[in-house]
Amino acid sequence: MQKYSVFNLIKNALSNHENWDLAWKDPTPKKEYDVVIIGGGGHGLATAYYLAKEHNITNVAIIEKGWIGGGNVGRNTTIIRSNYMHDDNALFSEFGMDLWRKMSQDLNYNVMFSPRGIINLAHSDAQMNVYARRGNSMRLNGIDAVLLNREQVKEIIPMADFSENVRFPIFGGLMQPSAGTARHDAVAWGYARQADSMGVDIIQNCEVVGFDVSGGKIKGVRTSRGDIKAKKIGLCVAGSTNILAEKLNMRLPIETHLLQACVSEPVKPVLDRVVTFGAGHFYISQSDKGEMVMGGDLDGYNSYAQRGNLPTLQHVLTEGIAMMPFLSKLKMLRTWGGIMDMSMDGSPIIDKTHIEGLYLNCGWCYGGFKATPASGWTFAHTIAQDRVHELNAGYNLNRFNTGHLLDEKGLGTKTWIS
Amino acid sequence: MLYIKCPHCGMRSQNEFSYGGDATVKRPELGKEVSDQEWDDFVYNRKSLRGKHWELWQHLFGCRQWIKVERDTATHEIFKTLKANQEISK
Amino acid sequence: MTQPFRLQNIGLINREKKLSFKFNGKNYYGYEGDTLASALIANGVHLVGRSFKYHRPRGFFGAGVDEPYAIVQLYRNGETEPNIKATEQELFEGLEATSVNCWPSVNFDIGAINNFLKIFLPAGFYYKTFMWPKSFWYKLYEPFIRKAAGLGVASTKHDKERYEHKYEYCDLLITGSGPSGLASAYAAAKNGARVILAEDKSRFGGTLLTSEVNIGNQSGKEWADGIISELKEMPNVTVKNRSQVFGYYDHNMLVMSERLSDHLPKTKKFNPKQRLWYIRAKEVLISSGSIERPIVFGNNDTPGVMLSSAAKEYLKVYGVLVGKNPLIFTNNDSGYETAIEFKKNGIEPVILDTRNDPNSEIIDEAKNLGINIKFSYVVVAAQGYKKVKSADIAKISENKEQLGKIENIKCDCICVSGFWTPTIHLASQSGNKSKFKEDIDAFVPGTSKQNETTLGAASGIYTLDQTLKSSFETGHKLSKKITNNDNKISFPNVVEKKSTVHDKFWCVPLPKGKNYKRFLDFQNDVAVSDIEIALKEGYRSIEHVKRYTTLGMATDQGKTSNLNGLQLVSKIENKVVPAVGHTTFRPPYTPVSIGAIVGREVGKHSKPTRKSPMHTWHEKHDAVFVDAGVWLRPRYYKRGNENLFEASKREAKNVRTNVGVCDVTTLGKIDIKGPDAAELLNRVYTNAWLKLPVGKARYGVMLREDGIVMDDGTTTRISENHYHMTTTTAQAANVLSHLEYYLQLVWPELNVNVVSTTEQWAGAAIAGPKSRDLLQKLFPNSDVSNEGLPFMGYIEGDLFGVKARIFRISFSGELAYEVNVESDNGNFMWEKIMEVGQEFEIQPYGTEALSTLRIEMGHVAGSELDGRTIPYDNSLEGLLSKKKDFIGKRSLTRKAFVADDRQKIVGVVPLDKKTSIPEGSHLVKDSNAPLPNPKLGYISASCWSVEYDNPFSLAILKDGKNMIGQKLFVMSPLKNKVIPVEIVSSHYVDPKGERVRS
Repeated sequence: MQKYSVFNLIKNALSNHENWDLAWKDPTPKKEYDVVIIGGGGHGLATAYYLAKEHNITNVAIIEKGWIGGGNVGRNTTIIRSNYMHDDNALFSEFGMDLWRKMSQDLNYNVMFSPRGIINLAHSDAQMNVYARRGNSMRLNGIDAVLLNREQVKEIIPMADFSENVRFPIFGGLMQPSAGTARHDAVAWGYARQADSMGVDIIQNCEVVGFDVSGGKIKGVRTSRGDIKAKKIGLCVAGSTNILAEKLNMRLPIETHLLQACVSEPVKPVLDRVVTFGAGHFYISQSDKGEMVMGGDLDGYNSYAQRGNLPTLQHVLTEGIAMMPFLSKLKMLRTWGGIMDMSMDGSPIIDKTHIEGLYLNCGWCYGGFKATPASGWTFAHTIAQDRVHELNAGYNLNRFNTGHLLDEKGLGTKTWIS
Repeated sequence: MLYIKCPHCGMRSQNEFSYGGDATVKRPELGKEVSDQEWDDFVYNRKSLRGKHWELWQHLFGCRQWIKVERDTATHEIFKTLKANQEISK
Repeated sequence: MTQPFRLQNIGLINREKKLSFKFNGKNYYGYEGDTLASALIANGVHLVGRSFKYHRPRGFFGAGVDEPYAIVQLYRNGETEPNIKATEQELFEGLEATSVNCWPSVNFDIGAINNFLKIFLPAGFYYKTFMWPKSFWYKLYEPFIRKAAGLGVASTKHDKERYEHKYEYCDLLITGSGPSGLASAYAAAKNGARVILAEDKSRFGGTLLTSEVNIGNQSGKEWADGIISELKEMPNVTVKNRSQVFGYYDHNMLVMSERLSDHLPKTKKFNPKQRLWYIRAKEVLISSGSIERPIVFGNNDTPGVMLSSAAKEYLKVYGVLVGKNPLIFTNNDSGYETAIEFKKNGIEPVILDTRNDPNSEIIDEAKNLGINIKFSYVVVAAQGYKKVKSADIAKISENKEQLGKIENIKCDCICVSGFWTPTIHLASQSGNKSKFKEDIDAFVPGTSKQNETTLGAASGIYTLDQTLKSSFETGHKLSKKITNNDNKISFPNVVEKKSTVHDKFWCVPLPKGKNYKRFLDFQNDVAVSDIEIALKEGYRSIEHVKRYTTLGMATDQGKTSNLNGLQLVSKIENKVVPAVGHTTFRPPYTPVSIGAIVGREVGKHSKPTRKSPMHTWHEKHDAVFVDAGVWLRPRYYKRGNENLFEASKREAKNVRTNVGVCDVTTLGKIDIKGPDAAELLNRVYTNAWLKLPVGKARYGVMLREDGIVMDDGTTTRISENHYHMTTTTAQAANVLSHLEYYLQLVWPELNVNVVSTTEQWAGAAIAGPKSRDLLQKLFPNSDVSNEGLPFMGYIEGDLFGVKARIFRISFSGELAYEVNVESDNGNFMWEKIMEVGQEFEIQPYGTEALSTLRIEMGHVAGSELDGRTIPYDNSLEGLLSKKKDFIGKRSLTRKAFVADDRQKIVGVVPLDKKTSIPEGSHLVKDSNAPLPNPKLGYISASCWSVEYDNPFSLAILKDGKNMIGQKLFVMSPLKNKVIPVEIVSSHYVDPKGERVRS
């Protein structure tokens, strides 16, 4: 594989960029694989990469209905953080933060991980206490967190509303300085390129139409490009989990919902951090291109439409202006929607299933992008070793029966309330 | 913004309603013994498929009635709405 | 000041009104009716900006919404706005604008060094480099890239402008006032339909303003003017200019932004700058026309290269010449129209037509006018850096692959026409799957998905006669369906010149040995070579191409670049264009100001503010308020220099020693009536309710079906079939919906009605040892003795002529009552309580003192009932009935919920009895343990116990029931605190509850 570097770039420039290799090939599916990963999104690609890299399993295919990286890894707000309260979430995410920090070098693909810090604004003493609970928990888990007072917040983001004419004044905030953003598409492409180079077949435009299960064991998968046998199959299709679960006669604690996001027109750098609003649901960062990347609530009813309605965005942007009034004069340039696996406690599932050889990775709610490396790493481990790793032990499917729930927000089963 | 026919009030915009999830989930009768599986299916497990979906909405800023709506989750087309006491016909 | 490129006898501008404006610090003049673009061109200014990546000089490319280049920073009335398209900004007196994305100036831009490095900066170059050393990306490379990117500068000042929203319903919404829009609007309006006709530009008429056609015995423009003035007079028609329908959402909801003041030097007082229309239309007619597409050739981004239709528009609408030595480069007849206009105005154009000697009326006219036409000729490359100076041209072979000898001809602009792309965005947004129309080489809407019909050029119909005819028919047909009227209008005779087929040629091959950049996306600097690299590297899906190269992702959203991008991909991949497919069209069609989307809900009004009827009294008595959801509640009443801590301590202490009064109006209240009301309560609450006597209250806890505590509160039986339920402030709305859900859907057999009465009652909690004495004075005619009104009793009373409800309930743990009166009498009640209470040394107390009082007593509230705890966790397991089923009961058997070491609420006291315990801290066994340090529980609420005068906290602690007496550490790393503590009972004060019963 060509190594990407500035020298290589110059070398190729001098030969008119005619000698660049394929980032990944376009193979015809083989009849059989050791492992088939269904879903060529960030998590699926990462899983294949870590299967090859950490477990030396390379007879692997990723099958993707459309084009790789076309799901939520390509339609999110690029935020990366580990500011969770529950230990299972926190330790899992912090493990992921380590993978993020070295990802560009590891993949030899610049994913532009940028630890610009995230600030969750608080608008009352009570909310400061809620954040303190979370921040202290993070610190006790070895994750960086700082509680900022109003003046400290003002110093970092003076463009937030510190005026008198404000409905919910800023009392302070919880900051995770090591959190940040990354270039979302690059994550998918970087994993794809490395996985491909280690022998993984990336098969696009290949839709799953059914499964071959017999004697409680998975045998293979039926696709629009023919049947493929596999010893093990990993399901990695957040947003379509319910559809594939139906084909396996499984019912899961998951509903499928739409989350919209939008960007403004690009402007010169003005906002250096990721900031979330505390008196509602709104988050913002500025991309390297200069666009303000903004998101918030779900559209609020089960949906498979990658298109949303304006009132949701209106609501989200209302909170945006309440937090940073200067946004009013920017223009909304692009909007998009992503289909979420909303699990019933807001946390994901990475587990074995009752079918031998079938593994489940789903329920990411809004938190899928940041989890990409940790999810791939632990899922690869779970598949390769046929047992969960301690990092994803809490993400078992059985927790809904046992009551070991991981509800960060305390909202319960009304997944559409965000 | 969806345009929902409230069986009591007529066509109304979505912002008068609040959503209530899968309308086909049936609460087990009070006092009746149910297995873990049945209970979990009621509390947690959902089909949530692409296509026609019977779901609950409450006409919150209107008559406050809960209604049943058959909607396509991919296109948002609404086929039918029923009052709370009307049974969904398969 | 002269305007050297302004013509004298043509144009729709108002020459009576001269307007002065400033661009990049220099003064210019234009006329009313100009855009900033037309005024600048009139003054000979073609260099307006720099491109995104290579900082190449940028001029004007179009004349409207599709503009990729002319993006400026606008200054208006002391405010500034970034990224304004000069082609859309109407000129006003005193307008100021500057170029963006260049430093130090547009003429000399340091960033242009990228232009010389461009071979090293192909598509995706940043994915391949800036990786070494590791820490440099965030610290060095990225800040540099961030600074170079972005266009204009966002002001961080608050926006003083006002934006409005309007909701509208209509029979037909028509998007665009060109020939199809006018014809369909007219036909529908005459048929009695309620019509909204929206036009993005300031002038109505669309292409009729610039084309040489006759309708009836009028020119196109005269006809358009006539129709518009007639429509404006009709009561069933709303005609809006400067109004862009930018989004087609579900169920025929469309959204339109109307720019009311952007064209004025400043917004008139109390007027909105923009208005957002939510329009629910029965039928939608998409008459958005088409956008001319460019032909790709070398250096085709040089200022002076522009769309031929734009050149014509500048000439005919604004009386402005985009050049005096124009070269027209076309693959179809449209270029001829532009050339003819030049010629008529005394300018000698040269036409390069890629076709080999085509024949049509227009071509004949050009020939007859003596215009120099070169058939089978192409522009190979534009020459000139900041402005076109000449063009390298060549003959092209029949197969369009070989170039002949390169010739250079002088020109000062190159007007390009690569045929027309229907504007299908709205149709596509509606869910309509577009289909590829071979003869026009572009996508058109397919089968209607919602009630939308696409007309005229937007549907790929490019002749006026056909457009008008079908639009009249559609307008009539659809309106007839709605109104049942059948008023037919006579169809006018159309005179237009016939044109012949276009040449599907779209990209000029590179001459041997030349490496010209041939741009597809002009704002984002995406060239043919970038797409080639992307495909070579395997980014083959059109979405990959778009994302890898950023094609079509600039502020013009690819209006002029997308189709050529597709052509290129299809050519290299050897696929037909429809097989490549296009990327999804999403709203907005053009960027919309966020202020307009949000409307009036800004500042203090971003969310409603709810106030109790006693709010003014609280204000007058120095209350400091706290947000409780959307309510404002007094947190404490400040005396002198007191701080929160001192004031709340004083207030709480006074409750424990004398009597205090607290405004509890915000508590949710639900009236429950019906013969089955008790049965409902019995199912909803965890404890038994069937035997509650009239005149008694009971505390209850309700669960969600998953076993988690949803809410708590007291419910009182007012009469046989009438109950009064209270909920927490936060859960009021949810509890009501919850009750309605079960009554309407799950247990419709229950004969019960519920209604919110939160706003109907004002409430005052009177608490403290002297509260009974006070109550007796407030209600001299009622028996409020311990026998007459025992704990959890209820009576009605007469408060100086006002009917009141008196509940003997207590949250503070003291002898306490809650008095409710109708909201209108709330202030009267409050004042009476304060007046009569004076002799008992009454003080009002706020939520902070209230918290102290409840924490000391071990009463749970929102910080414990946080949506994650079950009754046991809150020591409420005594309220779980074993005899009956209730909502959520089945879930309580879950393994984790019945675990031996399940978390439980406890009290926490610092060993030194001095150090305050911060809320949100955690409890650990060993404060020096390595991280991650296992957490045993967390501090949910803290106070300074006024009873014992030391700090006291509540905590939810693992195995809480066995932890009483244990010594642990409270840790708050955020505040650098480690506090040794002892675990005690959560009932710190009056554990037996004697006071409330006294």
